[in-house]
Amino acid sequence: MSAKAAIIDDSGLLAFEILPYTGYPQEAAAEVTKNALARAGVIRSGISRFLSTGFGGKAVPHSDGVVPDTVCFQRAVKKLNPRAKTVVNVGGHSFTVFHIEDTGGLGESAITDMCTAGMGMFLEAISTALEVPLGDMAGGASLPGRTPFIDNQCPVFAESEAISLINEGYDRYDVFAGVTSAVANKIAGLVRRLGVIEEVAMVGGVAKNRPVMAILERNLGVRFADLGGVDPQIVAAYGAALLAREGCSLDSQRLSDSTADRFRRKGTP
Amino acid sequence: MLTAGCDIGALTTKAAVIRDDVLLGCEVVPSRAKAVQSAADVMDKLLARMGFSYGQLDHCISTGYGRNLVTFANLNMSEISCHARGAHWLIPSVRTVIDGGGQDCKAIRVSEQGRLVDFRMNTKCAAGTGKALELMARSLGVDVAELGPLSLQSKDPVIMNKPCCILTQIEVKRLIFEGRDRADIAAGANDMVAREIMHLVRDVGQENDIAVTGGVAKNAGLVKCLEHYLGVVTVRFQVDPQLMGAIGAAVLAADRRSWTVGGQSTSGAVQ
Repeated sequence: MSAKAAIIDDSGLLAFEILPYTGYPQEAAAEVTKNALARAGVIRSGISRFLSTGFGGKAVPHSDGVVPDTVCFQRAVKKLNPRAKTVVNVGGHSFTVFHIEDTGGLGESAITDMCTAGMGMFLEAISTALEVPLGDMAGGASLPGRTPFIDNQCPVFAESEAISLINEGYDRYDVFAGVTSAVANKIAGLVRRLGVIEEVAMVGGVAKNRPVMAILERNLGVRFADLGGVDPQIVAAYGAALLAREGCSLDSQRLSDSTADRFRRKGTP
Repeated sequence: MLTAGCDIGALTTKAAVIRDDVLLGCEVVPSRAKAVQSAADVMDKLLARMGFSYGQLDHCISTGYGRNLVTFANLNMSEISCHARGAHWLIPSVRTVIDGGGQDCKAIRVSEQGRLVDFRMNTKCAAGTGKALELMARSLGVDVAELGPLSLQSKDPVIMNKPCCILTQIEVKRLIFEGRDRADIAAGANDMVAREIMHLVRDVGQENDIAVTGGVAKNAGLVKCLEHYLGVVTVRFQVDPQLMGAIGAAVLAADRRSWTVGGQSTSGAVQ
């Protein structure tokens, strides 16, 4: 749902940009790169290596390679908080959980890429339908006991369920609180399935959603790892930049192959 | 004997009136927020056009969302029974009915007598529904009604590899930007939805003839994909396939009425 770009030099993060988009991913990628370059005050030819990742990674024009997002997250989280052993990434269109082994390598992972359940897109769709701005959610905390239970996991069905609840007289903020806990519990389910190894780092756009984070912390019984104040939404872009700086000249295919044996899918729900 | 059926859908509400085993008339209106209002709208309109009053109806059955709230109906029944009965009443050779609605999709097996045998329905995922087609058409920048004709022009359909229609919306945009032919993308969207429906049909057990009802049946490209996957030509109705639920409800109303007055239903046993 948004394109992110991060630019680093030898000392660290120079600039980053986040651009929500509804149009073509290629255009959004070009635009967000241009904005980040302007913010960093460098020109495109000044960038030594440019890697892309994510749901639309292969749509990024003029990238030097596409890297799997899990590798980017692992690299970035390792850098930001070496104590983090479980990484939960929930973005608009992505939902992955993986372990970082004591050696620093990628451990077990679980990916849902066939279904939107638990993803940020789900919250976005319902927030549009209920006309509750996403930014308002933290303030929209409802009275306990007034929050309806949402049992649909598909945003298409949950949207009609939410509208029916409004027609039944529920307050829309209460309905949204129900949707929020549905998303949080879905995320917690996958994390538990893979195994909670502390510390747990939460990245991706949904990590900015305070109510989801609070429910998750309660459900998993952990405090999320501190990532040094880096915007959780740009962690993948930052990881890609780190990989580029490390001179990771591997093309996407070779990198995928080298990590393939460490990627043991736990299946999708 | 005059009976009526009313089918309240997620997107449209349909009504049908039959007399002595003959379909007299049908009506479709867009659904409103309250199911009761939609039902009253469509029935008022249909009865006014036909010159009947509510009092003249011997029996009326409602079906669909909020079917239990319709005050003028004598009884409410599940849309599964209604679609099965309607399709079998119009074409008695039908054994499998695929009902593709706005928000659900069902594969229904019907016995030789028109009795409901078994059904499968999507419960967790919107892939395979009219809503999936609508979302895909929106990403493609065309009306959902154009998706069928457009897809028929395709020479090289794209293959969508994710079942989720929300995730595929982005895929559609990427393909457009890459310059893929719109007809090929439309064909890919139909193919994806058809595959989901095929799984339901295989699961319930395919038996020929097959009828496709509901709004999804209006998409010629999708029906073609389905026929390809199922390996048979589906039967064609003379009436709008979207009306099948309402017609089935009216037929079931006639069946009920015959039972209660001690007569015999002319069209065999029913569920």
